Amino acid sequence: MNERELQEAVNRLPKSIEPPRDLWPGIEARLGAGGGAGSWRRRWYWVPLAAAAVLVFLLLARGERSAWDVTALAGRPLIGTTRLAASGRLRVGDWLQTDDSSRALIAVGRIGQVEVRPETRVQLVVASANEHRLALARGTIDAKVDAVPRLFFVETPAGTAIDLGCAYTLETDSLGKGLLHVTRGEVEFQTGRRSSRVPLGALVQIRPVTGPGTPYVDDAPAPLVRALVAFDFERGGRGGARATRNILALARSQDALSLWHLLQRVDPSLRGAVYDRLAALVPPPPGVTRRAAVALESRALEGYWTKIQRIHFRTVVLRGVKNIDPRTGLAKP
Amino acid sequence: MPDDLVARAQAGDQTAFRELYRQHAGRVYALCLRLTGDARDAEERTQDVFVRLWDKLRSFRGESAFSSWLHRLAVNVVLNERRTTGRRERRVTPVENPAALERQQGNPTEGVSIDLERAIAELPDGAREVFVLYDIEGYAHGEIAELVGIAEGTSKAQLFRARHLLREKLER
Repeated sequence: MNERELQEAVNRLPKSIEPPRDLWPGIEARLGAGGGAGSWRRRWYWVPLAAAAVLVFLLLARGERSAWDVTALAGRPLIGTTRLAASGRLRVGDWLQTDDSSRALIAVGRIGQVEVRPETRVQLVVASANEHRLALARGTIDAKVDAVPRLFFVETPAGTAIDLGCAYTLETDSLGKGLLHVTRGEVEFQTGRRSSRVPLGALVQIRPVTGPGTPYVDDAPAPLVRALVAFDFERGGRGGARATRNILALARSQDALSLWHLLQRVDPSLRGAVYDRLAALVPPPPGVTRRAAVALESRALEGYWTKIQRIHFRTVVLRGVKNIDPRTGLAKP
Repeated sequence: MPDDLVARAQAGDQTAFRELYRQHAGRVYALCLRLTGDARDAEERTQDVFVRLWDKLRSFRGESAFSSWLHRLAVNVVLNERRTTGRRERRVTPVENPAALERQQGNPTEGVSIDLERAIAELPDGAREVFVLYDIEGYAHGEIAELVGIAEGTSKAQLFRARHLLREKLER
């Protein structure tokens, strides 16, 4: 079979294949509301008892999965229009709201917990084994999750925080201006095609429309933070040569994670300068070339990120225990 | 009218949503089956897609055709699931008794299609995903690179590999 014959065979493939069984009942069981009750009843006349038992089990399981436990930590938070006394259940679609004197703790399925601080409004959007999703309309939450990456998501008006196995604080106003501070693991904040990776001990500022800015370490010098904010959010979020030069002049080895993001966001004509500064502060790992990094080849960027992240992790975790060289990640004598 | 259905489903009408499922399940299932290479996974992913659709439906603003939007959502659900669970060690021929495929009654190329479906399912994961997205679904390499999280050059290399393996399999 030659290339043309293969292509013709591909073109003949059906665009649509009916599933071998009706998948709707399983879908319906996972949706928030129950519809089509009449058809369900008609079907019940004919299903054997064993199937009924299975269905009951599934319905019970659904009830478990589609709601999370909530505990009032202070005051009396609202779930919908109901005041929460001590504890309750947050179901898919429910809003939890705290006032200036109330706080609550949400159990995120079986993988973690979210503390809802005062003046916060949060909704449970998806509660399944494969996806745990909240919407944070405004306010502040502290999330702690122990799970494989990409199981827990928090939507804000400006984008989505994607858990990569971590603990973090996320705050936002109702327009989407906010801040993400990661205290364990790593979080990705995504707005459309723009995303920032924020490891422990780092922050990222978030703005409506633009989304996440360039992450920076929590002890970054204030002038560097101002330069990053100017780059990320002034001139419509398109940065500029002047802001870039400021950042390069102010960056230290500890700020390599900022430069790694910057490399991918500056005008192509400035990438070489950013790479050179990054390479001077934290030399690239073997196999990462200037050409590949400046061309934004994903393998080169991933390789570089792995090294930066490893050094950063050691620097943060061993802070106060060992004196870590921020250029290499090795302990200084 | 499909637009009415979408609007009604957006307003929370589950009967309309069920009708949307009826209209689009075959297309979504075909995509899931080919991307996963596994019939059981395809069923689960199809259900995941429609549950996700129910949650996301409000964000559909009609800037593209609903079917295109749903298609993109389905691709994302399948690829996200793979990223979450990692590469499956278990590889199963997608349809041991391909009843689903045999529903295409009266199609003179049915035999070739079934052979090709089997061959696609037996491809390595990376090659299969790129082949399905590029050759069957019509995505560009740049889009695939973004969706799958690989370099554009890797996408091209995987496509070359997939086509080569398929030709080999189909000639046996």
